[in-house]
Amino acid sequence: MRIFPWIGYAILALAAALAPAQKLPWETNDGQSDAKQFVKFLYPEQVSVAANQDSVVELHFKVNPGLHINSHTPHEKSFIPTQLLVAEPPGVTVGPVDFPAGADFALAAEPNEKLSVYTGEFIVRAHVKAKAGEHLIQAALRYQACDATSCFPPRKAPVAVDVIAR
Amino acid sequence: MAWAGVTNYKRRKQEQAKLKEIQSMLVQAAPGPSPSGESDPPFKNPLADKQAPAFTLRDTTGKKVSLADYKGKAVILDFWATWCAPCKVEIPWLEKLHDQYASQGLEVLGISEDDLDLDDKAALLKQKQEIADSAMKLHINYPVLIDDKEVSKPYGGIDALPTTFFVDRNGKVVAATVGLADRDEIEANIKKALGNGEQKGAS
Repeated sequence: MRIFPWIGYAILALAAALAPAQKLPWETNDGQSDAKQFVKFLYPEQVSVAANQDSVVELHFKVNPGLHINSHTPHEKSFIPTQLLVAEPPGVTVGPVDFPAGADFALAAEPNEKLSVYTGEFIVRAHVKAKAGEHLIQAALRYQACDATSCFPPRKAPVAVDVIAR
Repeated sequence: MAWAGVTNYKRRKQEQAKLKEIQSMLVQAAPGPSPSGESDPPFKNPLADKQAPAFTLRDTTGKKVSLADYKGKAVILDFWATWCAPCKVEIPWLEKLHDQYASQGLEVLGISEDDLDLDDKAALLKQKQEIADSAMKLHINYPVLIDDKEVSKPYGGIDALPTTFFVDRNGKVVAATVGLADRDEIEANIKKALGNGEQKGAS
């Protein structure tokens, strides 16, 4: 399996020709993919793009009310950034991926310690180039969520987008 | 990728439908906590009035530490992680309370729940070093143990951090908190574990 860490975006693109029953590259039996989710992929389910040209696909996500997740660029090194893991089907390249800037957030007990987070809905913009045809891109948003007093182990929210390139 | 045929198209549609179904199930089955806590039941201590499950772990220096080593002491077991912001608020309180009540027999054990790459020796060493560095940065004045994930299970699975158990001198769990608790609540639980719940705090 090839792993591409795109410098400046820290997206991991895992190129894999996936058979239908094959486990996705990030499914590692650690339960992260199947555990209780705090972030939902909203849309799109399907997009049309120009074949063989760089296109931007906007992926919309929603963080459950009362929670926040670290942005792609947390202020502290030990905090886990939000990342997109992508399995590129043959004929498709994904990347770079643009993440929104995080918003400042502070715990009530530490008002001066600002965290960089996403709350509510946010959009991740993935640059996609596809050969003519229909392609299913499967991905996962890796995130680490907290509420006002607790943090939860990192999770991976599943993403699936049907890309029609004409 | 060559133009996908009808079979591939159908297969992808089925796969996509299955994925959507799974996503929908995940969201319906797990709405997640709300600020008011209405979507999740209140925390119930799975070990209330039970003996604290025994364990032996290594600390950040590689030394073996067992809960049994602390027989006759009141012990706080604080499950935390380097990526947990509320844990980093609570830890300085535990350090101060440890100093305050150590003479009465209070011990604190921090148990790191950071992910460990057990199959990659180099990565594992790096991860352990990061935990040690984080503990040093937080000036932790009690042993920090590294969980191999076998310890969190008998303690109820540890779904959220920080999770803190208060163990009395007889090894019984007398209280537990999930999330950043009120400092006064932590101190009251320490007194309960020490067996002096009615007394005023140590000077």
